[in-house]
This record gives sequence, C-alpha cells and structure tokens, in this order.
Amino acid sequence: MTIDELLLDRHIIVCTGSGGVGKTTSAAALALRAAELGRRAIVCTIDPARRLAQSMGLEQLGGEPKLVPVTAGRSKSKGELWAMMLDMKSTFDQMVLEMTTPERAEKIFTNPFYHHISSTLAGTQEYMAMEKLWELHEEGRWELIVIDTPPTRSALDFLDAPRRLTDFLEGRFLKLMMFPYMKAGRTGLKVINFGTRVALRAVTRITGSDLFADVADFFQQFEGMYETFKQRSKRVRELMTARRTAFLVVTAPTEPSLKEARYFAERLTDEKIPLGGIIVNRAHAVPGVAGLEDPAAIAARVGDGVLAEALRTYGAWRAVSLREERLLDGTLGAIEDTPVWRVPDLADDVHDLRSLHEIGELLARATG
Amino acid sequence: MSTMPASLTAARVAIVSGKGGVGKTTVAAALAIAAARAGKNVLLAEMEDREAFAPIFGLRKLAYTEQTIAPNITGLTVEADEALVDYLRMFYGIPTISRALMRTKAVEFATQTAPGLKDILLIGKVKEAESRRHEGAHVFDFLVVDAPPTGRLPRFLDAPRAVVELVKGGQIRTQAQGVLDMVTDPKRCQVVLVTQPEEMPVRETEETIETLSKMGITLGPIVMNGVWPELRSLGKEPEAMLRAAASDAGEDLSDDAIRVLAGVATTHARRARNQRKAMKTLANDVSLPQIELPYLFTERMGRPEVEQLAQILSGCVS
Repeated sequence: MTIDELLLDRHIIVCTGSGGVGKTTSAAALALRAAELGRRAIVCTIDPARRLAQSMGLEQLGGEPKLVPVTAGRSKSKGELWAMMLDMKSTFDQMVLEMTTPERAEKIFTNPFYHHISSTLAGTQEYMAMEKLWELHEEGRWELIVIDTPPTRSALDFLDAPRRLTDFLEGRFLKLMMFPYMKAGRTGLKVINFGTRVALRAVTRITGSDLFADVADFFQQFEGMYETFKQRSKRVRELMTARRTAFLVVTAPTEPSLKEARYFAERLTDEKIPLGGIIVNRAHAVPGVAGLEDPAAIAARVGDGVLAEALRTYGAWRAVSLREERLLDGTLGAIEDTPVWRVPDLADDVHDLRSLHEIGELLARATG
Repeated sequence: MSTMPASLTAARVAIVSGKGGVGKTTVAAALAIAAARAGKNVLLAEMEDREAFAPIFGLRKLAYTEQTIAPNITGLTVEADEALVDYLRMFYGIPTISRALMRTKAVEFATQTAPGLKDILLIGKVKEAESRRHEGAHVFDFLVVDAPPTGRLPRFLDAPRAVVELVKGGQIRTQAQGVLDMVTDPKRCQVVLVTQPEEMPVRETEETIETLSKMGITLGPIVMNGVWPELRSLGKEPEAMLRAAASDAGEDLSDDAIRVLAGVATTHARRARNQRKAMKTLANDVSLPQIELPYLFTERMGRPEVEQLAQILSGCVS
C-alpha cells in the first residue's frame, strides 16, 4: 500500500513511536499530504506547541482547530489542512463538566489533587489524546484525523496508559487504601490485610495527612464517574480498532528505535489494532557504485584534496547506509504485510510547510 | 562567544539531560569515565530501569545496589520503589516493611497519588549519595546522573519544591527541603544539557535553559553532540571539480561514481553548514559554553566509542 492510498482510504491515522524520531513532523506532513490530495484533514499534536506550530507556519497553535493557510500554486484541490494542539487540562475539565453536576465539578476543580491528576499523572495525557480523537471524530467536520501521540519513553506506554488512568480512577486497591478516610464503615477495615495496613501507615507518615484528605475528597466527588470514564475508554478503543483507522509506527534507523518499533508493531497486532505501516525517518540511502567498492583505498592514493575528502565521506555514509539496511531487514523484515516507508535524511531542517510538503512527497514515493 | 570556562565538574553533581535521541546516556557515561580518569571517585546513576549503561560497561544489567563498573566508577540504577524501601528503612528502621509494601503495590499507589513523590524518591537517592560521608570525607567526589529527557526535566527537578509547598509536614517535607537545597546550590548541582546541532533540538535546549534558570537551577556547559566534520567547498560545479581532481590523480572514475560522490559530498557539506548555523544561533542566544563532540560513524555506542568521547571531555574536567 502506498501512503497516498492510505491517506485517501482512512478516517483516523494515529502516529506512534518513542520520542525523538520525528513523529510530530511525520504527523504534520501526512495531514498536509492528505490536504493536497483533496481531503479535509486535521492534525492534532501533543508535543510542546511551538514545534509543530512553527513547522506549520503558525505563530501559536491553540486548543481550538485552526485552518492552516496552505498557499502555493499547486493547491487547486479543495482539500483543507487544520491543526490544533491538545490541551490536556481543558480536555479533562470538559469531560468532568459533562459527567457531573456543576457543583460537583466546581468542587473537583478546586481540589489540589485534581490539579495533579489532570496535569501530571502518568497516563492522563494519553487518555486525553484519545478523548480528543473521539471528540474530533464526533464533530464530523474532518474526513481525516491525524493524531500525534505523547512523547513517551517507550512507544508501548501509549497503549497502556489510558487503561492505567482508568484503573487508577476506579482503583479497588486505592479505595481500600482510602477506607479510613472515606468513612466507609467500620466493617470495611477488617478486610484490609496486614500488608495494606502497614503500607497505609507508612505512606501516611511520609506524605502527611492533608494530602490524603484531598485525595479522599477527590475520590468521593469522583464516585460514580469511573463507569463513565471506563465506557468512554471502551468507546475510543472501538474507534481505534475500526477498519478505517490505521496506526503508523514512526521510527528511526537505529537499533534501539527499530527494535522498539517491531515490538510495538507486534503489540498492536496482539491487541487487534490495525497497523497501517512503519515510517523510518532519517534513513541514509547511499547507493553502491561500480568502481567505488573500496573508497578508502582510492582516497589513500589521491592525496589530501577534495576528491579524497569526498571519497572518505562517501565511504562513511555508504557504510551507514548498508548497516541501516541490514538493521531494517533484521528487525522489520519479519513483520508480514506491513509497508515500511523510508524517508531519507534531509540536508535542511524541517521548519516550514515547504519542507513538510517535501517529506510528503518523499513518503509518497517510498516503496511500501 | 562566551568567556566562561567550560567545566563539567564545577558542581559535585552533574544532571545530564537532553531531548530524546541526542545521546545523553552516552555523554553521561563518557563524562563519568573522564572524571574517573582525572582521579575522581565517581557515581554514575541512571533513573529507573533503562538498562542503558550496562552494555557500555560490558554488563548485563546495572543493579540497584551500588557496584563498581569501571575503575573509580560506581554504577547505580535508582528505582522509585527500592528508594522508598530504602528511605523507610533509614528513617523508621523497619526492614520488614519492605516485603509488605512490595506485595500491596503500595509504592505504585503512593507514587501515583502524591505529586512528585516518585521524582523526590529518585532524586532523593542521588542526594543521599551526594551527602554520604565516610570518616568525614565525601564518599563520591563527583556524581553523574542520567536524568529524564528535557521534556520531563523541569518537573523532575521541581518535584522537591512542589512537595515542600504541598505537603505541610512530615518526614517527606524535610527530605524534600534537603533535596531542594542541593539542586539549587551551584556548588553542589549543575545541569549539563546534551543537544545536537539542529534547529529543533537547539530550540528545545533554549527553552529548557529558560525554564531551569527561572527555577534557580545552575546550568553547566552545553554538550553539542554529533557534530559532522566540515568539508572543503566543492564550488558551484562539484562534479566537474571532482572529475578534474580524479584525472589529475590519474584515477579512472565513472560518471556514475563522480555523480554519487558529488551528491553525497554536497549533501554532507550543506548539512554540516546548517549544523554550524545552529551552533552559532545557540551561542548567540545563550551565554553558556559549548563543548563539541563529533558524530561517530560507528555501528553502536560501545566502550571504545565512549572512551573516544571521554578523551575529548577530559579537557573540561578538572
């Protein structure tokens, strides 16, 4: 499958991958390409705003979708490119407002513990990204939604994180821990095992009790909302496994990145989530040439001029290229029916629509 | 250009961080080796189970317990749950608590619930090692921390302050205050940011510097990693120039060969030029010295490669 076929066929494209592999750039380039192909596309990014905003030529990317002026003579198409940034906290606030009464919501918003949950708890960002995806899907304004995912240490965190948040919010264990604070009745205390009691005492001792009061209050206010949370999570999951959804794994041609990409691809298959393909960014493709099999030997003969320098440079990059090819074959070769698109390393930095367009072109030309 | 001397050992603790993929772990290892060579007793600590140092030092895994991994270098993986158990043992003297804690997932609970608790535990362990003394003298002369990437770094280093503000009493507050004192003391702690000479990483570095400076954290030299060698200009017509050079040297190279050579060399030269531009931008915007490390064309970052970088860094270690 080519990138263009994918961009024309799908409704949702999720770009995943570990940090530092050019995920955000790929997401933006894909959305732009889709717009150039005539689709109404939106890209939602999670990374610090400035990066994508600047690469899209926008001063500031906000929580609201913005139409990106795709100028240039070639855009005869009726496609549109929209861009936005995920505002984690306001997405969470919005969810709370929808799920409960204004009075309760107000109480939740003023709780310091909520502030922590909504801004720093591991998994919140990922959950909110999925929630946003659902909202954009529900709004129905876009034919294609390209979503960037949070920069996790491991690409796998992204799959597990939403579940972690719901587990946390529902948390049987947590409720057990909170019993004394939630006035859950004396009988409850008896079922707490010894280990938990010891642990609870220890944790209370080191954190102080004020925090626990806040936590207890938070969970009391949240009572009854866990179910909704879970349902929404389930709903998003259905959307993720839908036929018109594709996950793309973005990676770089280094051993750790490729290994992780393979692992992630396998995980997606296990979870029955459709894998659309793998994008290998910043690949070096330096061809072998007859007569240049041993550039170092020629370089040694020709003195120390520009030719020797060019030969040595060629030799170094040719070796990198061969190594990357070997790595790619070794790690991704075993994944069946999955296109791998290689995007060559560009000499210039990607910071405007023109270079995003160029990446789109390179992706389209890459063989799957 | 800055006139500040580029000292990577100006503070006893070097918090090494950078955007994902810029090579901060390699630089942290190289810095530890360079400092150890200079005669320092070094602790090299990684945060949580990343297992990144082990291969460099020819080990399968780095243990939570400190172990000698190279001459003068003690290696350590700091884990939040182990640190919590450690901490409880230290302050409450109850070793039995550990097993019960582990079984009940209490640590997971506690670290998820209390803001910054996990980071406090991680960095608290570093502080403990930093202040540890044996017969009056510091056990470690220099500590290198492979810290979380820049995206998480401000929050990581801000954890002690957040805890001091949020938690009104108890042992953890005392502990947090102690950590806060360490991270804001320029003699005890400086952040060494690793970056690459490209627009995006440089921009992120600048943003991080701004954030950390506001937090009262001292920044050390910036390590510019992966700098490509510069090439002599091939002029306006690279192919003609190479062809002429080949015929001068009596080498018979095909048109194909010349074309590919010219292509690779011009792309490389252009990229190397862009790199210089990015480095200049950073030098103009930020008054921190930059230490350049070359791009290594080698297969993987093994011990020899790290040694090579350590050799360069040794000029900035006193």
